[in-house]
Amino acid sequence: MSDTAVDVSSLNRQNGIALGRVLGSGTVGHAEEGPDGKMTGTIRIPEDELVYEPGILIVPHGGTIELTLINDDKNTHCAVLPSNGDTQFLWLVNHSKGTATLELDGPGYYWYGSTTGNDEGRGLTGAIVVGGDVPAEARLDRPPQPRPTK
Amino acid sequence: MATEYVDAGKALPYTALSAVVGKAPPVTSGLTSDRILNARDEPQNWLTYYGAYNGQRYSPLDQINKSNVGKLVPQWVFQAGSMGLHSGASTYAWEASPLIVDGVMFVSGWDGQLWALDAAKGNELWRYKHASPFDVSLCCGNVNRGVAVAEGKVFMTTLNAHIIALDAETGKKVWDQPYGDVRAGESATVAPLIVKDMVIVGSSGGEFGSRGHTDAFKLETGERVWRCYMIPKPGEPGSETWPDDGEAWQRGGANCWVTPTYDPDLNLLYYGTGNPCPDFDGGVRPGDNLFTDSGVAVDADTGEIKSHFQYTPHDLWDYDSTMEHLLFDLDGQKMAAHFDKNGFLYILDRTDMSAIRVVPFVDRIDWGEVDEKGNVTPLVFPDAEGDPVHFWPGPAGAKEWTHACYSPQTELLYCPVQDIGATATRRRREFVESIPYWGAGVAVDADDIAGNISAYDPRTGAERWRWRRDLPMCSSLLATGGGLVFGGEPTGEFNALDAETGDHLWAFQCGSGHHSSPATYSVDGKQYVVAPSGWGGWAEGFLPKMLGSSHGSALFAFALPD
Repeated sequence: MSDTAVDVSSLNRQNGIALGRVLGSGTVGHAEEGPDGKMTGTIRIPEDELVYEPGILIVPHGGTIELTLINDDKNTHCAVLPSNGDTQFLWLVNHSKGTATLELDGPGYYWYGSTTGNDEGRGLTGAIVVGGDVPAEARLDRPPQPRPTK
Repeated sequence: MATEYVDAGKALPYTALSAVVGKAPPVTSGLTSDRILNARDEPQNWLTYYGAYNGQRYSPLDQINKSNVGKLVPQWVFQAGSMGLHSGASTYAWEASPLIVDGVMFVSGWDGQLWALDAAKGNELWRYKHASPFDVSLCCGNVNRGVAVAEGKVFMTTLNAHIIALDAETGKKVWDQPYGDVRAGESATVAPLIVKDMVIVGSSGGEFGSRGHTDAFKLETGERVWRCYMIPKPGEPGSETWPDDGEAWQRGGANCWVTPTYDPDLNLLYYGTGNPCPDFDGGVRPGDNLFTDSGVAVDADTGEIKSHFQYTPHDLWDYDSTMEHLLFDLDGQKMAAHFDKNGFLYILDRTDMSAIRVVPFVDRIDWGEVDEKGNVTPLVFPDAEGDPVHFWPGPAGAKEWTHACYSPQTELLYCPVQDIGATATRRRREFVESIPYWGAGVAVDADDIAGNISAYDPRTGAERWRWRRDLPMCSSLLATGGGLVFGGEPTGEFNALDAETGDHLWAFQCGSGHHSSPATYSVDGKQYVVAPSGWGGWAEGFLPKMLGSSHGSALFAFALPD
């Protein structure tokens, strides 16, 4: 094992140790759920960072989520997003703002990205994490089982 | 000075940026369960997973026959590709069997993809994509084995264990029912089966300590009709084959991840069930472990188990018996033929699942002995902790899930055979939900392996001919009225053999290995043979020597030149 300390923050920016930002090293945010059960979230692309912010968006449970996507960068990107039925595509020119409606089952997590050039590799790959459990009628008829603790 | 954002609008469906038509002809609106019951009365179609309820994978079409099959050429190719980060990013494979209804093909791919294609031209009519979680538990790759069609709908299971019904004209979702728990390591890859007014599915997850089950839903509404567990609870029939005071039954496996066959006269579904869990460590589950590794006859109306035959009691080799039970009547007997992973061909009386005869169908078997009635004497198995044990067949099985076929024309069974062993070293571990629960380290042989396509006489079990290959054969076979047997190879060739002699008559290199189920159909009087080509899946388990092969993602339709 190396005894050289690594500045972890250098993984979380462009042209640090790597060329781009290492996937999954960004920030975490939460979608909001209104009293009507509607789930919403906002994702931005900051200037010259080539990332989605937050990099990981946590959604409390499966269902429909309304996303607002804002490109604050001075370059053009896009978002190709998972949704039951068909993948959703939003083209985001410099300084633009759009929306996407996604239907995602829970639980589990999903990647999405900007499929232009190698935006995905440079850091424009985000995750949507859906929490919750499957309905009781879908679960196994057996006593509760031990789950991983680490 | 700040400027207003440009309005990027609302995200578009990806297919809006393609040549996808968006609509298919209403070919399934009159597709009743009676038509599926008599599927072989419509030789132009392939209406259900095996072509017919009997699982024979036989089509009477004979335009392509022994005399002209050498002229067969590709008519069109559909390519799926792979985009973005998806689960099983390196293990996706095309394992499906296409269905064809009056000129429209319905075929699933990996990662929740389903397409309606023009069966004569290959054009994409509509597309459905289920968003599958990246982190779903998959023992054997990102795969799906096919769809069902009836009453204007298409049905597909998803990796996260939902059964969905789509409008067959548009691909839009009609209903969606989850029937498995992804937090418990469950998933779904099975092709659904339509029986009467129900759609029937099964669970995957036998490598994660699941409790295997099959479920039936109303095809119109998605309302649940029944669930049948293949591991009994304490006190239920078969529970005496599990430890009295243990928890083993709760995570015992016996998953139903291959489509059952169905006898409408007996109203019985014939399931093959998966391995017990943990796969290789029998010390934590003393007993025969019913109904693992079994052929199980289930009442289609109630989901009640009526009879069974256990092929490998107290399995220690990962010998799932999920593969098909081929149904046929011979000499006045109602038979079911089953080629098991354990290397033996079982001819059963399907009225009570008793053995008529049992014969080996692969050259090398040393795990145990099985007598003519199916009684097992284990000989070689992982027993002592940390002690490597080599055995034949390995956990790939002498035949994998890919399907055999039966030709009523020749009255022969045809089987893709894998002659490949493995070494397992028992390593006990505690059960933790959603974590693999094998109880051993396993390395499947990469050398000293072989394979063949062989024909067997169900009256005697004798091998009538053999087409020998250097690699195990792991593509489903297709028999036709043209006197042909079609099957793909791991190296990409798609072949036609003479069903009577095994003579090799034709091949086409598809560019990627075959681990799927070909089908045949006709449109406007022209016969086609369709074969998905896309290597991957559980290759480290059934053919590690080909683990480095290219994945591929193409669907080939062949026909004679005009």
